Amino acid sequence: MSELKDPRKTFGEALVEVGELYENVLAISTDSSAGSGMTPFKEKFPERHLEFGIMEQGAIGFASGLATTGKIPFVVAIAPFVTSRPFEMFRNDLGYMKQNVKVVGRCAGISYSDLGATHQSLEDIAILRTIPGVTLFNPGDPAEIKNVVHAACEINGPVYIKIGKNKMPVLHQAGYPFEAGKGVVMRDGKDVTIIGTGTVLSKAHLATQILEKDEIDVRLIDIHTLKPIDVDIILKAASETNYIVTVEEHYLAGGLGSEVAELLAREGVCAKIKMIGIDDQYVKSGPYEELLSLYGLGAEQIAQTVKKLLL
Amino acid sequence: MLTVKDELQLKNITLNIRKKILRQIKAGRMGHIGGAMSIAEIITALYFKIMRVDPENPDWPMRDRFVLSAGHKCLALYAVLAEKGFFEENILDTYGSLGSKLPGHPNMFEIPGIETNTGALGHGLSIAGGMAMGLRMDGLQSKVYVIMGDGELAEGSNWEAAAACSHHKLSNILVFVDRNHLQIAGRTVDVMSYEPLDERWRAFGWSVREIDGHNIRQIVEVAEAFPFEEHKPSVIIANTVKSKGISFAEDRADFHYWKATDEEILRAEQDLLEIERRLKG
Ligand SMILES: Cc1ncc(C[n+]2csc(CCOP(=O)(O)OP(=O)(O)O)c2C)c(N)n1
Ligand SMILES: [Mg+2]
Repeated sequence: MSELKDPRKTFGEALVEVGELYENVLAISTDSSAGSGMTPFKEKFPERHLEFGIMEQGAIGFASGLATTGKIPFVVAIAPFVTSRPFEMFRNDLGYMKQNVKVVGRCAGISYSDLGATHQSLEDIAILRTIPGVTLFNPGDPAEIKNVVHAACEINGPVYIKIGKNKMPVLHQAGYPFEAGKGVVMRDGKDVTIIGTGTVLSKAHLATQILEKDEIDVRLIDIHTLKPIDVDIILKAASETNYIVTVEEHYLAGGLGSEVAELLAREGVCAKIKMIGIDDQYVKSGPYEELLSLYGLGAEQIAQTVKKLLL
Repeated sequence: MLTVKDELQLKNITLNIRKKILRQIKAGRMGHIGGAMSIAEIITALYFKIMRVDPENPDWPMRDRFVLSAGHKCLALYAVLAEKGFFEENILDTYGSLGSKLPGHPNMFEIPGIETNTGALGHGLSIAGGMAMGLRMDGLQSKVYVIMGDGELAEGSNWEAAAACSHHKLSNILVFVDRNHLQIAGRTVDVMSYEPLDERWRAFGWSVREIDGHNIRQIVEVAEAFPFEEHKPSVIIANTVKSKGISFAEDRADFHYWKATDEEILRAEQDLLEIERRLKG
């Protein structure tokens, strides 16, 4: 088993790194700076941390105003509270106003598996994807968290970064080719393409290893940028492999699977697709890993789904 | 300080603003007349006496910022920006036409001088607070001026922003509440009362003044005294009349949004001519 790293801690390290690179980076919290990984940033740049109390809508608006004066605010909180709750602020004050604000939804997906649907975000990508000009990152391992935080600062415009809560295995070698908007082929193959994103990329990765034992030749693609999505890598997979299977910790409505299906439909490309994600329901409560398996997102379940397709 | 001559000049400019508001309605045959007319004096005082802005250099970093939180009042903003020379006056005649640079709620990417994309009520004060914070961080003396509607104050997000502005001691922000006592559905006290307004703002940590929002001298004198208290944001509750200047529409909720007939426009133009006659006489 590869090394595991805490995504929030990793994000916090990345925030300090960009804080050192860009003196206009600010950290904005809403009564949970420590839980959002900001402690090292706060210690290093106390005057660049702004606390707003439990005020997510207001914080997004303030971030927009701060950005008009050349700042790069990072607003970080539990994912639903900075996405669905202040959606209109995100849409108007960040999207429509094209402001250089980075919103980080942490403990996203069902990673707060025991706290109930109020604290989960299975629709963040679906709703934010409708806002023109917003870049959506869903990093799949700790190295990628660092990469997207740096990439976010190089983009002049609104960015959403989705990170989980549970420790993530290291999947990428240091210095692997990362480019915003471009997927990463982690394993080449010709029978089936699995496209994974975010927290469950590691499950897709494990599933690939299981399938290898059955001599199924899997192409594994990491889509860390959900918008703008890498069109070429998906079209290529559609023409070169027999199936595309998408894997995401998100509702099937509006997430990665939808994006891939929409893209192929828009391009008029015929391909066999299977989407793995969570269907139209509020998920049960329980231990995270067990829940993922219950909803078909464990490595074993993903491998089983792929095998059934190929039989 | 405002000399009598200055005062007269500001009154004349206010009249021009009202004429330009009407001109846009005439072009588009419809528009949010009521809330635009009620802020004509305030927005004139801001752009022609109080704020430091430069139409030749709209992105000048040292400029003061203006946030029209109640974006539906944008006919007044377009009028004042045109009057000030931010864009060609004849653009006003495109209001309501396909692809006009003057949408029914302002868009900062369409014409210079617009600072925010408002229209959904209850966003402006947070954005303005962020601006005030950023300007202060940079050590700039620039101020942030905001106009809000009185009906708009029912949006809870405003009170988040009000709390944050006072918590962060943003003494470089001045809000005007256009208290015309009306919103779409009727009188504000009947629809959703936020009285006593002054006490509410005070309880949120703001320094409050109340004025006659159609008295240009009062507007200038009070705005020039801002910040009213050290370390506190300032708010002026400006008592106004919705659709001020258009006799048949004044203080009427049904002229919030006006689908104007030819005959009504003619009457409105005559009303403004009458004001002009009185000003000259
Ligand atoms: C969030 C939101 N809800 C509803 C509206 C529709 N709306 C436009 S103007 C208005 C009434 C505003 O009243 P007030 O703030 O008193 O401004 P006035 O019309 O008096 O200028 C409403 C409800 C809106 N623009 N934004
Ligand atoms: Mg009103």
